[in-house]
Amino acid sequence: MTLSASAPATATRPVITAWSAVSPFGIGKDEFVAGVLAGKDASSALDSEEWAGPDDHACVVPGFALREVLGKKGTRSMDRVTGLAVTAVRDLLRDSGDRRTASDEETALVLGTTTGSAQSMMDFTRASLVGERPFYVDPSLMPNAVMNCAAGQCAIWHSLKGPNTTIAGGRVAGLSALSYAGGLLNSGRARTVLYGAAEEFSNARAWLDHHRRGEDSTGALLGEGCAMFMLESADPTGSDGRALAEVLAVESRVYFGDDLREALAACVEGVLRRGGVDSGDVWAVSASGPAGSAGEQEREALAGRFGAEALDRAPSMAPIGDTAAASAAFQIGSLLSVAEQSAAPGGGVALVSSVDDNGVVACAALRLPVS
Amino acid sequence: MSVNVSDAARDDAASRVVLTGFGVFSSIGVGADEFAEGLRAGRSGAKPITLFDTEGFAHANGCEITGAEPERWIRNLPVEALGRATQFSVAAARMAVEAAGADLEVLRAQRGMISIGTTDGESYDLDHLVGTEVASGPAAMDPTVARRVSPNRLSIAAAQELGLSNVEAVTIATACSAGNYAIGQGFDAIRSGEVDYALCGGADAMCRKTFTGFYRLGTIAPDVCRPFDVDRKGILTGEGAGVLMLESLASARARGARVYAEVLGYGMNCDAYHQVAPNQDSVARCMEIALENAGVKAEEVDLISAHGTGTKANDVTESRAIHDVFGDAPPRTVSLKSMLGHTMGAASALAAIACALSIHHGFIPPTINHRETDPECEIDCVPNQSVEADLRVVQNNGLAFGGNNAIVVLGKYLDGAR
Repeated sequence: MTLSASAPATATRPVITAWSAVSPFGIGKDEFVAGVLAGKDASSALDSEEWAGPDDHACVVPGFALREVLGKKGTRSMDRVTGLAVTAVRDLLRDSGDRRTASDEETALVLGTTTGSAQSMMDFTRASLVGERPFYVDPSLMPNAVMNCAAGQCAIWHSLKGPNTTIAGGRVAGLSALSYAGGLLNSGRARTVLYGAAEEFSNARAWLDHHRRGEDSTGALLGEGCAMFMLESADPTGSDGRALAEVLAVESRVYFGDDLREALAACVEGVLRRGGVDSGDVWAVSASGPAGSAGEQEREALAGRFGAEALDRAPSMAPIGDTAAASAAFQIGSLLSVAEQSAAPGGGVALVSSVDDNGVVACAALRLPVS
Repeated sequence: MSVNVSDAARDDAASRVVLTGFGVFSSIGVGADEFAEGLRAGRSGAKPITLFDTEGFAHANGCEITGAEPERWIRNLPVEALGRATQFSVAAARMAVEAAGADLEVLRAQRGMISIGTTDGESYDLDHLVGTEVASGPAAMDPTVARRVSPNRLSIAAAQELGLSNVEAVTIATACSAGNYAIGQGFDAIRSGEVDYALCGGADAMCRKTFTGFYRLGTIAPDVCRPFDVDRKGILTGEGAGVLMLESLASARARGARVYAEVLGYGMNCDAYHQVAPNQDSVARCMEIALENAGVKAEEVDLISAHGTGTKANDVTESRAIHDVFGDAPPRTVSLKSMLGHTMGAASALAAIACALSIHHGFIPPTINHRETDPECEIDCVPNQSVEADLRVVQNNGLAFGGNNAIVVLGKYLDGAR
């Protein structure tokens, strides 16, 4: 029964059955669909009273005052990334209604992140350094300074008692979370997995990004948000018609130095092989498009393989800025947005590509539903 | 909870997962041999913290790693581009490959996974950036440091150092049970045939942020960590890395590798209850899930490596959960944190290595610093002295903030059927 690692996977392929988004286009999936299909610029000038980072513009979630969005109960100490994730999971569970048949114990949560909240982590240390005594810190803020805070709070708020996993995946986090979620279904550790990724905009993140950015990517706008998806094993009869997309394959690879293009090409071939996809069936390709040379290399590799038209059929993610850990999750959302508008040919395959300049590339193949 | 892999397949050498090599950085020893010696001797890693300024704290012991020189195992990457936790992770990964006797050229031709758990990522570096900001403003932050703080580098840099491109590199950030999560991910990936080998474990560097948080919560012990003791006062923060080489039994047999232990299964769940307080019922349920997945009965477990932080709340809750599952006479239950401190994301990985070494060498490591067992804990924690023992099944508990429980079950490798 054991497959060699290079053979196509024969286990039941998981399907996405619902999704939600809290994005620079607004709070809600409908806002995201409308915004991303219109290619509407979601950036705005930052209020210097509220933000003290190096940038004067960013793509923040409009109106995201979390105590207004989630209410005053249980939110006093909540940080922004946790609020974004708790909101997106709330919307996902609300919109999927009674369709979830898995119990709370059988429902897993997998959340991608860069580093949780850099702001919460750095604020905690700062309080220790500048306080009258080094331990004059607010203990209620300590959990925020640990990277699994958002996932744990999602579980508490929404009573999700299955496996609860935080993946610090950087820009590819959304695809790492998808791969991990598929593994949970395949191994029988969960019946339903809520997976996605979240990133907050903050002064701390903006300063870190400012200092790590190369000269080739100066001026890139930061974005934020969270997209969440419900992943389930496909009904073996294939008769329920609930699937918004079938996940054919997900793969990631590591690159060294400047061989991003080769690693991405190998990753794409791996996904096509595992997914049993003929490259002629690839209808749209969503590139992650980071600023600078990583983004240029990504685009060249994908355009060389699938043609510029395939790239142009996927909505541009530029209008929401660099949403970092949330970027690949938003890319998946953008392809589902296209499918929702019946713009995709029935059964067409869409690829999601993601690159992180720390040295990792990832790719997923999704089959969009027959409309 | 059902498992899709059939019982027949479980007996297949291709779907049994074994441990064939370890990379270890700990305050009681570097490398599996030194670590095993330290465990058997009941060595203590506790000492005054020197990594950050502790002025103003009434007490500041920790289990810091001194003189370990992880750079000796880092040959291809510029060490200054790696944060302290990443250095531990990268060096431990190379050590694990070498200890397993695996040929990197062979691994490069295969599909692999590198999964590293962490609590704090590069918070040690973030602390320093905050220090710069406080002194000179945020514009003065060092770009070299800013470039190394993303925690995904803990796994990516290990792959880069080893020249492994065809790998899934994952950093799991589920706090203090993250090492067990990583081992579980590798276990599933090998069993499903998704990968041929997996380097799994955890890494963390001590940092001011986490020390201060636990100190403020009143959970840093003034001198040493005394798990299950009636006078226990809390944890000592620690640091280090443990990386385990996982491969199928078929793969280990084919290359004639030494097998330390078999991974029988694991379980995960979430309390969905409180961010920092553990929940007895949920912890007990996680043990049941793990045992069921491993296909072992509670009475077959010979030893439990507890999460055993040495705080009032953890030790009593965990002991009670153990009683819920194992009844009135639970197996001996030790806490390695008495020796290693709380190494955060590395904790359950180092503990899993300790369990495998205990199985392989036939001993139970002690719970040191022990004077009088708390009557509320009611377990035999093997106080202060290791004992000889033939161990067939060992359970390794990992509990974390966020109610993130993960428990791994290891077994003695017996040729043929278990």
